[in-house]
Amino acid sequence: MSEIILSCSGIHKSYAKSFLTAAMLQERLIKWRLHRKKVQIDALRDVSLAVKKGEWVGIYGPNGSGKSTLLKILAGVLRQDSGTVSRHGTLSTFLELGVGFHPERKAEENIYLHGLLQGFSPKEIKKMQHDIITFAGIESHLDLPIKCYSTGLKLRLAFAAAAQVERDIYLFDEVLAVGDAAFQAQCIAYLEQMKRDGKTVLIVNHGLESLEYFCDRIVMMDHGSILSSTQTYSSAVT
Amino acid sequence: MGWSDFLLKYRGSVLGYLWSFLSPLGKFLVVYYVFGPIVSAEIPFYALYLFLGLIIWEHFTVTTMACMNMLEDKAMIIQKIVFPRILLIFMVGWTNLLVFFTHLFIFLLFAWWAKVPLTWALLYLPMIILQMTLIALGIGMLLTSWSLKYRDIGHLWGIAVQLLFWLTPITYKYRLDGTVWRSFVGLFSRPLPQTLPAYADIFVNFQPMSILMNDARRVLLYSDVSGAPSFTHAAVSLLMCSGIFALGVWAYQRRSPYFPEEY
Repeated sequence: MSEIILSCSGIHKSYAKSFLTAAMLQERLIKWRLHRKKVQIDALRDVSLAVKKGEWVGIYGPNGSGKSTLLKILAGVLRQDSGTVSRHGTLSTFLELGVGFHPERKAEENIYLHGLLQGFSPKEIKKMQHDIITFAGIESHLDLPIKCYSTGLKLRLAFAAAAQVERDIYLFDEVLAVGDAAFQAQCIAYLEQMKRDGKTVLIVNHGLESLEYFCDRIVMMDHGSILSSTQTYSSAVT
Repeated sequence: MGWSDFLLKYRGSVLGYLWSFLSPLGKFLVVYYVFGPIVSAEIPFYALYLFLGLIIWEHFTVTTMACMNMLEDKAMIIQKIVFPRILLIFMVGWTNLLVFFTHLFIFLLFAWWAKVPLTWALLYLPMIILQMTLIALGIGMLLTSWSLKYRDIGHLWGIAVQLLFWLTPITYKYRLDGTVWRSFVGLFSRPLPQTLPAYADIFVNFQPMSILMNDARRVLLYSDVSGAPSFTHAAVSLLMCSGIFALGVWAYQRRSPYFPEEY
């Protein structure tokens, strides 16, 4: 249990954006050395975090505290300015549900696309397709393109597709439970099963309650740095 | 992994395809009626000569533009999912290759109808298609690498492409006699030209798209007279195209990790 599966140390990240909408090459050609006013935002300052195998870590903090940036850097979507990230397992990132879904296509095709984007082979996707459809409970909508789905249904499909991805480490950005009460219960049951299976999960969420329910440890963030890291009650029980 | 299926799935719709054909067709009609009477005597099968030039040019411009537009279309995926970003470029390449095949098919139908003598030199065609793809994707990647940082690269390239259209022997005759290499060496034995048009002329003769277009015509239209390009010619031009492609890959691989924060 004590093996470190995902860690980062001394992560710095800052965004520099100019006030103008976009940089133009022609400006660069006219004024060779252009010093435009820029805003510099330090999104992360010297952040270090180590996640053990099987541990569930919740990241909590106000908007703009650097939670999502940290998650993106851990996932490898963004590149850090300095510091190191080390990953010792397969990783699955859900920064948003249903990325890559095409509104004109049907559920099965979208599951297929989603699977490919997550790096699965067509054979593996075929195997999990049935599970995804039953989990989402959308059997009656199979022959419709997903633009005809209601928002809730779309989210259910997206969550189901995300949940079936079999990996060691999961990174979730505010995608804990979606849909109506019945489906939320289903999601929670599923997450509990994941926990029993010994998966490692990092969750960013605004609801402190659900974080306390699921996570072994809650990391508080503000202004780009980690304020505190506390063990939760649920971890003491188990 | 089934990435090739991924490429196939994202292919453009049927309507998109019709558009892709209307654009070269429109250009063809205009240029044919303006230039046709002047150069027909000089160039046998001028209509087909022009048509072939236009579809190759169309493939080049549409592919390079599509590489840049891809960043906008796939913004969601680029910002949210971790995967080798170069796959998106291959996807663009594959889509446009399919479109080009359909154009080529129409060309071959016309060529057959016009009784163009087709010979075994036709076997050289895959080589041309390979080189076309390498050039188009190579330049596409070079442009794409910086088109997010500098938003006007797309517009500037649009203008550049119009200029290059006339600096490529599409509507007029490719004037180089003898082998490309011998003429290129010959340049250095003569005194340097003094005027701008002379330099433009040199550019027209030796730029990769001109050479490629000339090869395509040799193989598809005039193979009974000229035969297939020599092995050395094929090797050197492939090397040149691969060089452009490699440069594009290098730039793209260096720049693509920074794409998500440049939107």
